[in-house]
Amino acid sequence: MFRSALLSILLALAAYAGSVWLTHDFQVWTAEGARRLEVALQPIAAPALKMDGPGLIARPLSQFLADGQSVTLVDFVYTRCQTVCLALGSVYQQMQATLQAAASLPGAPAQRVKLLSISFDGQYDNPQVLQAYAARLSADPRIWQFARLPDAQDTQRLLDDFQVVVVPNGYGDFEHNAALLVVDQQGRLVRIFDYAEQQLALDYARHLAREVSP
Amino acid sequence: MSGPPPSWRKWRLPAAGLLLGLLALPAARDWLEASMTRHMLVQFPLLALAGFGMAASLPQRWAERMNRWNAHGTTGLLATALVLALLMIPRLLDLALVNGWIELGKFLALLVCGAAVQLSWQPAGLLVQGFFLGNVLPMTVVVGYLFESSPVRLCNAYLLGDQESLGQGLVWIAAAVALAWFARLVLVLMRRDMAADA
Repeated sequence: MFRSALLSILLALAAYAGSVWLTHDFQVWTAEGARRLEVALQPIAAPALKMDGPGLIARPLSQFLADGQSVTLVDFVYTRCQTVCLALGSVYQQMQATLQAAASLPGAPAQRVKLLSISFDGQYDNPQVLQAYAARLSADPRIWQFARLPDAQDTQRLLDDFQVVVVPNGYGDFEHNAALLVVDQQGRLVRIFDYAEQQLALDYARHLAREVSP
Repeated sequence: MSGPPPSWRKWRLPAAGLLLGLLALPAARDWLEASMTRHMLVQFPLLALAGFGMAASLPQRWAERMNRWNAHGTTGLLATALVLALLMIPRLLDLALVNGWIELGKFLALLVCGAAVQLSWQPAGLLVQGFFLGNVLPMTVVVGYLFESSPVRLCNAYLLGDQESLGQGLVWIAAAVALAWFARLVLVLMRRDMAADA
């Protein structure tokens, strides 16, 4: 009986330790929650992968993001999307409008928050397709740009680094953990917001952008 | 304890080993883990079944030695309840897909679960069995209800519809196990009454 009690207590302690580890001390229950918490605690550097897109100078993604002066709000899309990407599209349109309004104020500082939509369907979404998509969403190229990674392996590498999971839904569309990714001036992913928290994400990005001395 | 006839008994270990081998095949893992429902409602029980079969073919001597650490089956059933609770955290399903160590741990934990139930169920008796089920089944129903009613995906790798059917499946399984156990309980109690009357 004593031995059973001892072993039971040890098992209970092991299970407790396991659940503390699994849930980051009972803060998160899902992989998405863990991803957001881990990014906030430990920023992830954007990988140096070749990307292209309408109106973009050919340079690696990491260089584009780490320009030393602007904070970038990144999202992942594919142009054939009919569901959540459309929601993200309108979120981005609203954020673009806010940024345009802020920039047009007299004495406003130069634009330091950028929007970047990256397609994970790089085979289909070539720069021409992205150009048409940008026009459809009336994207202002000074604020909102579109990119893809021409190499499918690079795309996967980026998705893995940023822990974006894309699942085909069986109807020709993709389901993915869509979110707003805040990348700082050094090209590090520092925070992930739900796309319902667009105001918070934008405020956070503008706050980060202000922290850099001109 | 009445078991299967000895001619079957010698096939239990190879059968359990074969089942485990099949489940560990990359193709089987990919197919079973491609769906949240298959992952939790097919792969999990089959792994536990393999563990059950392995424990059933343990030499009597070993089983007796283990019983000293498992008075009235309490340790084994506690271990099973703890493992099941951990396996119902949605993050674990996602992690098992991308982290080989977690996947290995999941396989071992489920084998242990099946083995623990085999070694502990009879010694536990109705009271401990009832306590175990009284904890595990409501937990399963709550998790199943959460999976079924959550408007957001809890696993990045799985679709919402899959999550809903898994949730429904968990609730149905919990209900079926509760009914089956209760039916057996009534049967056992009636037999006892009849034996007392006779």
